[in-house]
Amino acid sequence: MLGLLAATPALPLDEAGKYVAGAYVVFLALIVIYVAIMATKLQRIERELRELASFAEQGANRPDGTGQAAPGRGSEGPSISDSLAPHGSRGGGAI
Amino acid sequence: MYGKGLKPLSMTTVGALVVAFSLVFFYAPLDADQGFIQKIFYLHVPLAIVALVGFVIGGVFAIAHLRSGDSKWDAYSYVSIHMSVIFGVAVLATGSIWAKASWGHWWVWDEPTLVSFLIVFLMYATYYPFRYAIEDRERQGRYASVFAIVAGAFVPLNFMAVRMAQSLVHPRVFATTNGGLPGSMMLTFLVCLLAIGLLWVTLVKFELTAKSASGQVKRLRRALDAPAPGGRSRVAPEVG
Repeated sequence: MLGLLAATPALPLDEAGKYVAGAYVVFLALIVIYVAIMATKLQRIERELRELASFAEQGANRPDGTGQAAPGRGSEGPSISDSLAPHGSRGGGAI
Repeated sequence: MYGKGLKPLSMTTVGALVVAFSLVFFYAPLDADQGFIQKIFYLHVPLAIVALVGFVIGGVFAIAHLRSGDSKWDAYSYVSIHMSVIFGVAVLATGSIWAKASWGHWWVWDEPTLVSFLIVFLMYATYYPFRYAIEDRERQGRYASVFAIVAGAFVPLNFMAVRMAQSLVHPRVFATTNGGLPGSMMLTFLVCLLAIGLLWVTLVKFELTAKSASGQVKRLRRALDAPAPGGRSRVAPEVG
């Protein structure tokens, strides 16, 4: 990398340089903000999954067996549209 | 399901972006007219092209949704538009920075290319309140698809109208009678376009994976919340 930098001509980071740097920084900042928002969403999903797993485990340990998940419900159709529900998670939200 | 292949795709995208930006700064020659400022072109134009194509793709997915009734296509359409709106923010920001450096103004209202892109962007910005103003899920998806199709058809029409308009200030680098980009600049531009396109695909896939996971959690919550034989719910109410 250092060799590559040494072999290349010096970049004219004068008046124009700050604008070019600004444009690329804005682009990178948008990506980083988006990834940070997605990370927050994934943390929430993980927390909800942990919560549901603990409820399921508690139910499965009951002697009457009432804690098992409703049979057949887990094989319903695609659920990606659930995340577009008006009162649900709207996903995205990166801007 | 949606996360399949996300890791190699992400790695390819990062590699493509590194190669593209290396070409921009260490390979492509300085523009004789604009100088160093022209480096913004390699970021701004691919972002604009990918954002506009993304809007059209959102419309195509919306057609698939209306034809099949499968809500999966509605989700694809939503995510495509969502990602293109984010890219649109980047287009407006980088374009304004270039305008300030080149023209001395952050924004020029009599330049058709800028104003038309702003119109497209603002039109798609209304997609969110329009969509979520409708409570019923079926109607929400249908109306949003109609919006996506109409708006998606407007994008190429708008592009052609702007190209036909005579502009004196916005640079035209493709399909000009005075010659286009030299080979090294064209190569750099195409690699940048590929990298930004890959970034769009990766982020769309990322968003779809997150949405799928979120939907699965909701489904699991509903399944566990189904009344037990004793008549009581097994899961606490959803928080937040």
